[in-house]
Amino acid sequence: MKPDKPANPFSKHLTMANLRRFSQALFLLLFLWLFLQTESKGANELGYPVKIFLDADPLIWLTTILASRSFYGVFILALTVIIFTVILGRVFCGWICPLGTLHHLTGKLQKRLKKRTVLNKQVSLRSDNLYRFKYLLLIFLMVAAIFGVQLAGLFDPLALLIRSLSLAVYPMFSYALRSLFDGVFAWNIPYITGGSEFVYGFLKKTALPFSQPLFLQGIFIGLIFFLILALNLWEKRFWCKYLCPLGALLGLLSRYALLKRSVSEDCDGCGVCTQGCQGGACLSGNPGGASVDKTKDKAQEWKSAECLMCLNCDDPCPKNAVSFGFSRKPAPAALDLGKRRVLSSMLAGIAAAPLLRITPLTKVGAVEPTLIRPPGALAEEIFLKRCVKCGECMKVCITGGLQPTFLEAGLEGIWSPVLVPRIGYCEYRCTLCGQVCPTGAIRKLTLEEKAATKIGLAMIDKGRCLPFAHNMSCIVCEEVCPTSPKAIWFEEVRLRDRQGREMLLKQPHVDLSLCVGCGICETKCPVLGHPAITVTNLGESRSKDNQLLL
Amino acid sequence: MNRRDFLKNAVMSGAALTLPLGMAPFLSLSEGADRPDLAVVRGASPARITSAAINELGGMRRFVSRGDIVVVKPNIGWDRTPEYAANTNPEVVAEIVRLCYGAEAKQVKVFDHPVSDARRTYKQSGIAAAAIAAGAQVSFVDERKFKDVAIKGQLLKTWPLYTEIIEADKVINIPVAKVHGIATLTLGMKNWMGIMGGSRGRIHQRIDESLVDLARFVRPSLVILDAVRILVDNGPQGGSLSDVRRLDTVIAGTDQVAVDAFGTTLFGMKPDALGCVRIAHNAGLGSMNISRLRIKRLII
Repeated sequence: MKPDKPANPFSKHLTMANLRRFSQALFLLLFLWLFLQTESKGANELGYPVKIFLDADPLIWLTTILASRSFYGVFILALTVIIFTVILGRVFCGWICPLGTLHHLTGKLQKRLKKRTVLNKQVSLRSDNLYRFKYLLLIFLMVAAIFGVQLAGLFDPLALLIRSLSLAVYPMFSYALRSLFDGVFAWNIPYITGGSEFVYGFLKKTALPFSQPLFLQGIFIGLIFFLILALNLWEKRFWCKYLCPLGALLGLLSRYALLKRSVSEDCDGCGVCTQGCQGGACLSGNPGGASVDKTKDKAQEWKSAECLMCLNCDDPCPKNAVSFGFSRKPAPAALDLGKRRVLSSMLAGIAAAPLLRITPLTKVGAVEPTLIRPPGALAEEIFLKRCVKCGECMKVCITGGLQPTFLEAGLEGIWSPVLVPRIGYCEYRCTLCGQVCPTGAIRKLTLEEKAATKIGLAMIDKGRCLPFAHNMSCIVCEEVCPTSPKAIWFEEVRLRDRQGREMLLKQPHVDLSLCVGCGICETKCPVLGHPAITVTNLGESRSKDNQLLL
Repeated sequence: MNRRDFLKNAVMSGAALTLPLGMAPFLSLSEGADRPDLAVVRGASPARITSAAINELGGMRRFVSRGDIVVVKPNIGWDRTPEYAANTNPEVVAEIVRLCYGAEAKQVKVFDHPVSDARRTYKQSGIAAAAIAAGAQVSFVDERKFKDVAIKGQLLKTWPLYTEIIEADKVINIPVAKVHGIATLTLGMKNWMGIMGGSRGRIHQRIDESLVDLARFVRPSLVILDAVRILVDNGPQGGSLSDVRRLDTVIAGTDQVAVDAFGTTLFGMKPDALGCVRIAHNAGLGSMNISRLRIKRLII
C-alpha cells in the first residue's frame, strides 16, 4: 500500500495487483469451465466456444500459418492478443494465461516451504542468462514451422495445459473421486452413504466426466506436467521466465510496448520490488544491498520483454517510486541472445524437417496401419502441419477411443490423435472432434459428410471369428454396424457340428465399399484381446495412396 | 345386459364394497374374465393409442398399485432420432409414465443400457426429454448397480443384471418392433438384453435360449410393443427412412410370449418362426397360439 493513499478500506484493496489477481482468477475459472464443457451432453453441439483460448494463442496461429502455408479459422482473438501485447506488454502472461496463473499459484507454495530463504530464491541471480532459452526455443519453432514442421504445440503453454489436463490431470481427478465415492457406496453406511451419493450425483452433473477417461501415455504426459509445475519450487514461474515460447513471442512483441515502468529519483535500491517480481524483469542490480550508481542500475533494472505486467512492484514500494504509465521513451537495451546461439537455433529449426521425416512411415504402403485418424482429419502430411497436440479432440471424444499417438506417426506426430478401436469406436453420428480442433487439422464435418468419410476398413480374421473358425453363432459385428445398408452382411451356411448334426450358421462379411472404418465392430467383438474383426487405416478417405478398392 | 349379468354385477359390486381391501385381487381376477389377452390399437396419436390399449386391458391400476416403484424399460439402444424406429417411440414411453403416476405410483424410473453412447441415445431418441416431462426419473446406467444375479435359467445360471430392475415393485417393458440379424426380430424378450451388464455380446452364441432365461427371470407386469414405426431392414439400428414402416399401432398384454408372438405377424412371420417365442412357449412361459388368444382390436 502506498503511504500517501487515503485510509479508505475500499481503496486499500483496490490496488492494481488485486485487480490483476481478480483477472487471473476470472480467466482461470473461465478456462476450467470451458474445459469441463468440452464434453458431449448428447446433442451433436457443445453449445460453448470451448477452444477460444487456443484461438487467442498467437504462437499457435503464427506457426500453423507458417507450417501449413495457409490461413485458417478465426484469428480475431489471436490478433487482439498481439495488438494488446504491442500496446500493453505481456498482459496475457500476467493477467490471462491459465498456465501462468497455475505457475503463480504453485510459486506461492515455495514461499511457504522456504520462508527463510525467500529473499534469495525470489529472483535467482544465478540464472541471469537462462531467460534467453525461451527465445532460442521460439526461433527454433518458428524456423521449423517455416520449413513445414509444426512443433509449437508441444511447448505452447495452452496446448500443453489442455493436453495435460485432458489426458492426465482430469482423469486422475475423476479416478480419485470415483474411488472415494465407490468406497463409501460399497460400505453402505447409513446416512453417510446417502449423503455421499447425493454429493456424487451433484459432482457427476458438474465437475466429473461422464465416464472415467483413460489414456495411453497419461502417466508420461502427467509427469511432464507435474515436473513443469514443480520447477516453480526451484524458482517462481520458471516456465514463464525461461521456457515458454509463447511468452518469448509476446516478449518480443512487447519490447516497444507503450505501457512502461518508470522509477523516480526517490528509489533507494531497497529491492522490495524484485521480491514480488513474477517475470525476470528486475534481474540486474543487487536487490539485497545498496548500489553505488543508482541511475545506471535503474536504467537496466527493468526489461520490458520479461515483464509480465503483474504490477507487483508498484504497490509495495516504500518510496512510491515505481509507476506504470504510457510513454514513448526510447526502447530498452537490445535483446542480446548471442549471434551463435541464434544461428544454432535456426540451424536446428532447419534440420528439424529432414531429421523428422527420414522415416519409411511416409512411404506408400508402409504407413502404420493402426494410425486411424479421426474423421475429417486432413491428409497426413498437412494434418501434421496443423495438429498442435492440444488434446481437445481426445477430451471430447465420446467413446474415449481417440488416444495420443506415441511413434505411430513418427516423432513429428507424437501425441496427435489416433483412434484405437479396442478402447473406443467412432460414434457414427458424432462430429465433435472436428468442432473443437483449433487449427482445422480435423475438419468440421456435416453429418452427411461424416457418413461419407472413411477412416479405415474393417477386416475379419477367419481364424478367430466364431462362426468361421468355431462353427458358433455370433455376428455381433453385424448388429452394431451403423451404416445403412450395413457394411457387415452375413451369409447363411449349412455346416455340421462335431457330432455331425447339420446346423444353419450366419457368417459375417465386410462390404468394403460401405465400411467407414468406425471400429464399433472391433470394440464390441466378443473375442476380446485379439478381436476377430479389426480396423486399419487402409482405404481412409483423406489419403490418395492408402487405398485398396478400384 | 341380461338379468343374470345384472345380478352378478350387483353381487360383485356389493361384495366389493364390503370386502376388506386385501380381497381386491381376487375380485379383479374374476372381473378380468372377459378382458382381452392382447389389446391391439391403431391410430394417429402414439399417446392415445397407448392409453387406449391399457384401458382395454383394464386400466393401469390393474398393473400398478399406489406407492409402487415402477421401472419402465424402453429400448434406448441406439443413437437415432425417433423417425428411424431404432428406439421406442418417446410419446409411448411418456404416456406409460403418465399412466403409472395416474395409478399413484410413487416413482417411475426409465433407463436402458444402450449399445451406442448413452448420452447420445437418451438425447437423440427423444425419450429422456419426454419421460422427464412426464415426471419420470431418467438416469444413466450406473456400473456399480450391476450385480451378479442367480438367474437359474436353462443356459444362463448367473449374470450381472441391473439391480434397479430387481428391486422395483413393478416392471413394464416397452420394446420397439425391429428386425435383427442374429435374433431375426427384436421384440419384448430381446429388450431384456438392456438390463444385462458384463460382456453381454456373448449371449449371441445362443441368443434364443438366453433371452428366454432372462424373460423367465424378469416377468414384467405389462408389455407394450411399440409398432408406431417398425424397422423392416438394417435392424436393429436402421439408419435410413426406407428401412421404416409406419403401422401406428401398439400391442399391449401381460403375457410377454403372446405379445412377441403377435409381434412376429407384423413382419409377416409365424410366431413359431421366432426362436425365443417357440422356446418360451414350449417352456410354458406364455402362449404363442395367437389364434386362441382373445385379441381386442381397436382403431381410434
